[in-house]
Amino acid sequence: MSLDVFYFTEMPYHHIDDELAEQWPSLRLTFPNSYFDPNKATDLFKRYLDEFQYAEEAGFQGLMINEHHNTPSCMDVEVNITGGILARLTSKAKILMLGNMLPTSDNPPRLAEEIAMLDVISGGRIISGFVRGIGVESWANNTNPVYNRERFEECHDLIIKTWTTPGPFRWEGKHYNYRAVNPWMVPVQKPHPPAWVPGTGSPETVEWAVKHRYTYAAFLTELSRAKQLFGSYREQAAAAGWEAGPDKFAFMICAHVNETDEKAQESGKAFMWRMGHPLKGPREYWAPPGYFSQAGVAANAARRQKPMNEMTYEELQEHNHLVVGSPETVIKKLRHIKDELGIGSLLLETQGGPLSHEDTMRSIKLMGEEVIPALQD
Amino acid sequence: MVAFTEEMVDVGGTKVHTLKGGSGEPLLLLHGANGNSGWAKFVDALAEKYTVYYPSHPGYGKSERPDWLETIPDMACFYTWYLETLGLEGIRVIGFSMGGWIASEIAAMCNHSFSKLMLVDAVGIKPNDSEIADLFIISPAQVLDLVYHDPSQVPDYEMLYPAEPTPEQVMQAESNREMAVRLCWKPYMYDPRLPSLLQRVKIPTRMVWGKNDKIVPLECGELYKKAINGSDLVVIDNCGHSPQVEKPDEFMKAALDFLA
Repeated sequence: MSLDVFYFTEMPYHHIDDELAEQWPSLRLTFPNSYFDPNKATDLFKRYLDEFQYAEEAGFQGLMINEHHNTPSCMDVEVNITGGILARLTSKAKILMLGNMLPTSDNPPRLAEEIAMLDVISGGRIISGFVRGIGVESWANNTNPVYNRERFEECHDLIIKTWTTPGPFRWEGKHYNYRAVNPWMVPVQKPHPPAWVPGTGSPETVEWAVKHRYTYAAFLTELSRAKQLFGSYREQAAAAGWEAGPDKFAFMICAHVNETDEKAQESGKAFMWRMGHPLKGPREYWAPPGYFSQAGVAANAARRQKPMNEMTYEELQEHNHLVVGSPETVIKKLRHIKDELGIGSLLLETQGGPLSHEDTMRSIKLMGEEVIPALQD
Repeated sequence: MVAFTEEMVDVGGTKVHTLKGGSGEPLLLLHGANGNSGWAKFVDALAEKYTVYYPSHPGYGKSERPDWLETIPDMACFYTWYLETLGLEGIRVIGFSMGGWIASEIAAMCNHSFSKLMLVDAVGIKPNDSEIADLFIISPAQVLDLVYHDPSQVPDYEMLYPAEPTPEQVMQAESNREMAVRLCWKPYMYDPRLPSLLQRVKIPTRMVWGKNDKIVPLECGELYKKAINGSDLVVIDNCGHSPQVEKPDEFMKAALDFLA
């Protein structure tokens, strides 16, 4: 059973040391942007984009990008911009945008045409992820969290209709209204680019993914939790009369390879920045009132025993949020994950926090030469 | 204590949980974003002089929410229907905080609903030189820290805010908070049309404000006074956002003098 391995980085602006980060309740939303140095960011973007390009050369089947706002943990503020860059910089890798935040968008046909344009430029390599945006994005974009799921679903329905129904047509919805939906740009892939949805546990998201037969990507969840979620997906699909194959399941994890276990354990410590400060913040930042349903609140409580930012380096590895080691060690761990979950795609956050260019490039190389081929049978 | 009843008033198919008690002419109380306090001391004191109607807003407490009701002007429209259903017209009203905003919208859209309008530390108008505290982005405990000027002067504070609320109380508070977010997210706690529309209000109007309100600055009271012709503003010293709880005597005096 083959496995598509995706290279991922949040393109962190990691020049924020512990001492500074600890002065603020969170690196999200209200961390002052006066600490941002655009010149340093220029250098980082050059580097990160080079690393994406190299990941394709090294053998990753796909490249994954995401977006966040008001935070140094992710400099990508618009997946459709980075998607455009990668569409032109690369030639064969799938480009997984995971994804466009639908509820915060006021213009779904505009999103539909942007993604279609990327699909056209890339020659049909786009995977269109649709996301609700984590709770803190409701604050950053000032969209009412009570309507997050409603807007997500209506925005999605309108985008899919825009891609699949010849225009012009009219749309009179609850949150969106258009006189003439008729973008010139439509996607190469028919009926439309594959759509994916990430989840961390809300049962409604699994149900929604099954309904549309979309790939469900479990994000930084415990293996046991991911197994439950995928099991629930398979059961619901079976109840609806179809079988969910590995292509419907993806798992996201941080991963770092170095020549030996010892060296990897040392260089991999850079991921502690990523697992620490950016995940810290008041409850209201992550869960604005109304963002989670009662079922979602219960699912969150069951998600993990301890918040990731309180876990030690060792605990993060034990709980499969982070895989670190020599190629041999990492192959063994990732194989286990692949076999346990029955996934068709593995999303590896290979660059994280202050992991240096040199360590990142070596990790990409070893992944491409040894790890990815060993996961293919 | 004055006897009171609980009833579900059916307004076009929507059930509105209403506390009713006392005697005398009708007085409508409209609660704030936090929800209905229940038959609290200040409600009881008012019921000695008036027949108090104290509903939980649609979407709050045990009251249902019709699907279409998503904004404060929707709420005001709904309440004109509620009053009509109960056969109430030209009555006295006190609106607390967000309830003051609702009362103002009703008064501006319908000139026969009320005979006297009293607003207590009301939101609804955007201040120019200060800000209405963002209660959605802070924890319930932090919100409580902002409510009173001096919690030690609040009678029965421990009873009003038990250290360990029941799971039902916590869930109800969350649900009320979600309703407040639905209604007031953006623009946050005001209607840009309101100061202009309030020129229509011709009934006697009084604002009562805690001088040290850390949630809705006194400036908002001054702006209401400016917007409503002939209105007055009673400022209570050493008092925060809820004078009816923190300074019950001063509050009752300001209320009863005005309502009489």
